[in-house]
Amino acid sequence: SSSSPYRQNRNAILVSHRQKGNPLLKHIRNVRWVFTDIVCDYLLGQSSCALYLSLRYHLLHPDYLYYRIRELQKNFKLCVVLCHVDVEDVVKPLLEVTRTALLHECTLLCAWSLEECGRYLETIKIYENKPSDIIQERMDTDYLSRMNHALTAIRHINKTDVVNLGSAFGSLSGVMDASMEELARCPGIGERKVKRLHDTFHEPFKRVV
Amino acid sequence: MLLPFQEQIISDLLEDPNGGLVVLSSGLSLPSLISSLLLLHSSSPQGTILILSASDSQKHSIHNPNPNSPSDITSDLPPPHRASLYASTGAFFVTSRILTVDLLSSRVPHSSVAGLLILNAHSLSETSPEAFAVRLLRSTNPNCYVRAFSDRPHSMVAGFAKAERIMKCLSVRRLHLWPRFQVFVSGDLERDPPEVVDLRVPMSGPMRGIQRAAIEAMDACLKELRRTNKVDVEDLTVESGLFKSFDDIVRRQLDPIWHTLGRKTKQLVSDLRTLRKIVDYLVRFDAVTYLKYLDSLRVSEGVQSVWIFADSSHKIFELAKKRVYQLVLSDGRKYVGDSKGKAIKRRKVKQDNGVDGESGEGTTVSDGTGDVGMSGSGGVVLEEVLEEAPKWKVLREVLQEIAEERQKINLPGEGESNSKDVGDVGEIVLVACKDACSCMQLEDFITKGPQKVMREEWEKYLLGKSELHGFQKREKKKSQGPKGFGLLNGVVPVGSRENAKISSICMVEHDALMAAASEIRNLTKEEIAVEESSHSHATGIERKKGRGKGGKRKATTKHQNSRSKGDMKGVENNVFSSEKEDQRDQTKQKAISGPEEKLLTGVTKDKSILRKHDQEEGATEYQPQKPLPPVQFYAIDSNQQILDIMKPSVIVVYHPDVAFVREIEVYKAQNPGRSVKVYFLFYEDSMEVQKFEASIRRENSAFESLIRQKSLMMIPVDQDGKCFVSSSSNESQSLVSHNSVTRKAGGRKAAENEMKIIVDMREFMSSLPNVLHQKGMRIIPVTLEVGDYILSPLICVERKSLSDLFQSFASGRLYNQVETMVRYYRIPVLLIEFSQDKSFSFQSVSDIGDDVVPTSIISKLSLLVLHFPRLRLVWSRSLHATAEIFASLKANQDEPDESRAMRVGVPTEDGIVENDVRAENYNTSAVEFLRRLPGVTDSNYRAIMDGCTNLAELALLPVEKLAELMGGQKAAKTLREFLDAKCPTMF
Repeated sequence: SSSSPYRQNRNAILVSHRQKGNPLLKHIRNVRWVFTDIVCDYLLGQSSCALYLSLRYHLLHPDYLYYRIRELQKNFKLCVVLCHVDVEDVVKPLLEVTRTALLHECTLLCAWSLEECGRYLETIKIYENKPSDIIQERMDTDYLSRMNHALTAIRHINKTDVVNLGSAFGSLSGVMDASMEELARCPGIGERKVKRLHDTFHEPFKRVV
Repeated sequence: MLLPFQEQIISDLLEDPNGGLVVLSSGLSLPSLISSLLLLHSSSPQGTILILSASDSQKHSIHNPNPNSPSDITSDLPPPHRASLYASTGAFFVTSRILTVDLLSSRVPHSSVAGLLILNAHSLSETSPEAFAVRLLRSTNPNCYVRAFSDRPHSMVAGFAKAERIMKCLSVRRLHLWPRFQVFVSGDLERDPPEVVDLRVPMSGPMRGIQRAAIEAMDACLKELRRTNKVDVEDLTVESGLFKSFDDIVRRQLDPIWHTLGRKTKQLVSDLRTLRKIVDYLVRFDAVTYLKYLDSLRVSEGVQSVWIFADSSHKIFELAKKRVYQLVLSDGRKYVGDSKGKAIKRRKVKQDNGVDGESGEGTTVSDGTGDVGMSGSGGVVLEEVLEEAPKWKVLREVLQEIAEERQKINLPGEGESNSKDVGDVGEIVLVACKDACSCMQLEDFITKGPQKVMREEWEKYLLGKSELHGFQKREKKKSQGPKGFGLLNGVVPVGSRENAKISSICMVEHDALMAAASEIRNLTKEEIAVEESSHSHATGIERKKGRGKGGKRKATTKHQNSRSKGDMKGVENNVFSSEKEDQRDQTKQKAISGPEEKLLTGVTKDKSILRKHDQEEGATEYQPQKPLPPVQFYAIDSNQQILDIMKPSVIVVYHPDVAFVREIEVYKAQNPGRSVKVYFLFYEDSMEVQKFEASIRRENSAFESLIRQKSLMMIPVDQDGKCFVSSSSNESQSLVSHNSVTRKAGGRKAAENEMKIIVDMREFMSSLPNVLHQKGMRIIPVTLEVGDYILSPLICVERKSLSDLFQSFASGRLYNQVETMVRYYRIPVLLIEFSQDKSFSFQSVSDIGDDVVPTSIISKLSLLVLHFPRLRLVWSRSLHATAEIFASLKANQDEPDESRAMRVGVPTEDGIVENDVRAENYNTSAVEFLRRLPGVTDSNYRAIMDGCTNLAELALLPVEKLAELMGGQKAAKTLREFLDAKCPTMF
């Protein structure tokens, strides 16, 4: 039943009539949204939907989430439970919500404000067809950030250290080949860092078995 | 040899067979206490002693004095070997991670361990792995003792009832406090104190200026911070701002509300940290290194920083520069840099001067400390100042004084027995400074002289600059220069029109620097060239000529001799001045003849040889003015027990440090026959002094508060790790009862079907296994290729703390991890774990912004969820909440199988055995580093690791070999080019 209104409003979030009066709606600004008759609370794409749950509401009606999820009947690939954390003592209610969502194949997203809730809905809609580049390992950045990326893999090495090491040794291969003493001469690199750097570069990849 | 109070410490500690916690003042030789405990143990071994959480330097100092010094139990040893070590009655260092893993897999034989010694007890908490190890060990072996030590009283009082909580988690009942002001301690140490000479060295003008400006900036930051009304004002003073622990104080107050803070407040906190370093390094680094540090700070801190744009920070940079060089017009007048027009006018003047005389130029040179570099454009010349650290001179004087005193004593007493404790001339003087870096520099300074050291640093600095400059040019040609380079240029990015003037000054300065740099580079190049081509003959002649010249000058130029302060500088000065003469010629020639290229090279060639010559001469003739005693330099942060090894009678404390002062006191008390003289070098009115005094005050107040805490402490009767029933008779029974007690805390299930969780070895760094065990779950440590925790055959959990989450999103690691989890498990779970004492929130509302931006964590998480709809997210408030969630998720599931879990995701096709313990056998940080290099991918990194042993070797591999390993020319070239690229780190 949800497919026909979806075709008409391909670029909008479809909102269930149930959500009328939810202050969250005024925080959806970057995407158009329309009320429609749907089972889920928010229809975010062809096969992704979201249910909104306020933890405060959950404390009053602990079974609500379960019934809502059951209604969906596994028609969606991605089903998000958008949980608005609006109580102080979260541990117990959050545990219940987590358990229900996990065992019924829903993805739980927590947000701490209505703005954040709105932003999740917007983002999932906007990124509907976006490739995963930005969360995959990137290759094409400028030299300094690549250098940072590599050297900060070593614990305790910060960006200032990277700059210092770079200027002391001239190139990354210079840093990698440096001796303990040369590393110690580099300003701002303390004994602990020297050892860590030296171990990383000079210990074999594979420890002797 | 132990002092009476140290023996008292040990006998007090041994009184309680259950153990105790010892807190003593820093510097009261904790390592020797441990050593003598071990010695006691080895005389009548009752079992194995395990030493936990000792730092490397502590290990080293415990090693030395002991005949059968303890060895390390590391993960390199195969498990059966480890088991046999646990059973032998020796003493071993072990990490808590390995110990817990071994205890959990029952590799530690019952009741073979006599006790634990835990160092650095101040870093413990209920959830720390050491506490876990103690609990596990006590549960199998209730008779073993736990003796914990800390020599950082001030971190023992950081936090609510910290000492009490630490004692609880170690289940010890006794707290022993040994402050420096304790009667026994002070009695022993002050019976015959060392002779102390306190030297106050005035700082140079610019140094004072920098310090004042830095403190001003700090004060301003603190005021700002107070204005936010988010922190307790009382603790926020400039004095407390000098210590590292200040960060902790502030963070502890701000962490719970961190997400509600604005960007500015957060920046203030980090600025304070930077400023503290600036103050600290001011008295530790030489002028050039300091400038270099500031430069790189400006690059890395960039635009976000608040203080960098404040007035006082401008002053810091200016003064730091002034200590190294200043810009003058070549007629000697100071360059003020008003406007371009004026600069041009002055150049004309300069040209006139060049033609008709050298009166003006004489003044430029007359500074006598350095030579003059020519700038390519404008009439601006870079004049070196190269201020040496004021302490250097004083250090030399002190050393000379020591030598003279010794001579005086030795000369008359030659016939008699002069084996008085004053020591002979050959005895070594110990100079203690903070770090190895300053040690090496001071050593250079003593052997080569101050100017040479400064010059070397300066040349390095300039070369670095010019290299960067070259790099930039290349980069610009390619016209794909990354955006950041505007900043790197040294020209603070200025948009407004009124700043155009300033940037032009910067350009002039930049040009001057470049000119000086290229000169030096040419020099070094030609030096090499000369050396290579005409090694013996030509240089010989030239050198003779040079020396003759120098000699002549010495005779003729009177003013130089009068100006030079010490005679030892005289020689060098002369040679420098001869060189200057040459340069003056050069500048003249340059001024007169337009196409100067040819002439210039001619002259510089001559000069390069001269320079080499004077270096040699400087090295040989520098020394003999006044004899210096043999000197040994010691870096305080290397924490070696140098005093006992060297047995010095004269110690110069170059950088004051409380712990080291105490060490001297103990050393003196241990050698009552020996006279010990200590020179302290303080910068007068500096933060150095203040910091020293404040650290004593801070320690005392920490002890006072600990004494108060101790008097109020409530310790349960059974806090001794065992039940009161005589446990030796029915050990097994107490074991069961103990286990059931912990299980009751979980309150879940009866003993027969206890819950089982498979945990990756690497996770034992974190506290979650500990907490899970507290909840009564069985922990099975194995090495997992996929996931961190396996709850059931279906559920696999990847755990991320908040900072991990951000980091692994940025690195793309998370994507890979989730991908493999989704591939192998029905219910893949990403656990996002917040920390109990931090706010439960991703970000503050103000950080959310108006638009959907790809860099936001919300966007990244949404994208992850979209791409892996099967991934389940679990949000946990704290460690304890995580344990409850785990228990709840496991409720209706089967128990996991460790042998299956281990096989998951382990590649079998390339000859890797299914069951091999991977993580233990890899240098993980090297592997991580390797995988982050460009050109290295998931598919080729294993081959690279097979092809070369370590990263240092990889750094030198030629591109052909790389191509072979990486399976492609393109990837190999990418990697090679990245490794060899010049660093654009200076500007």
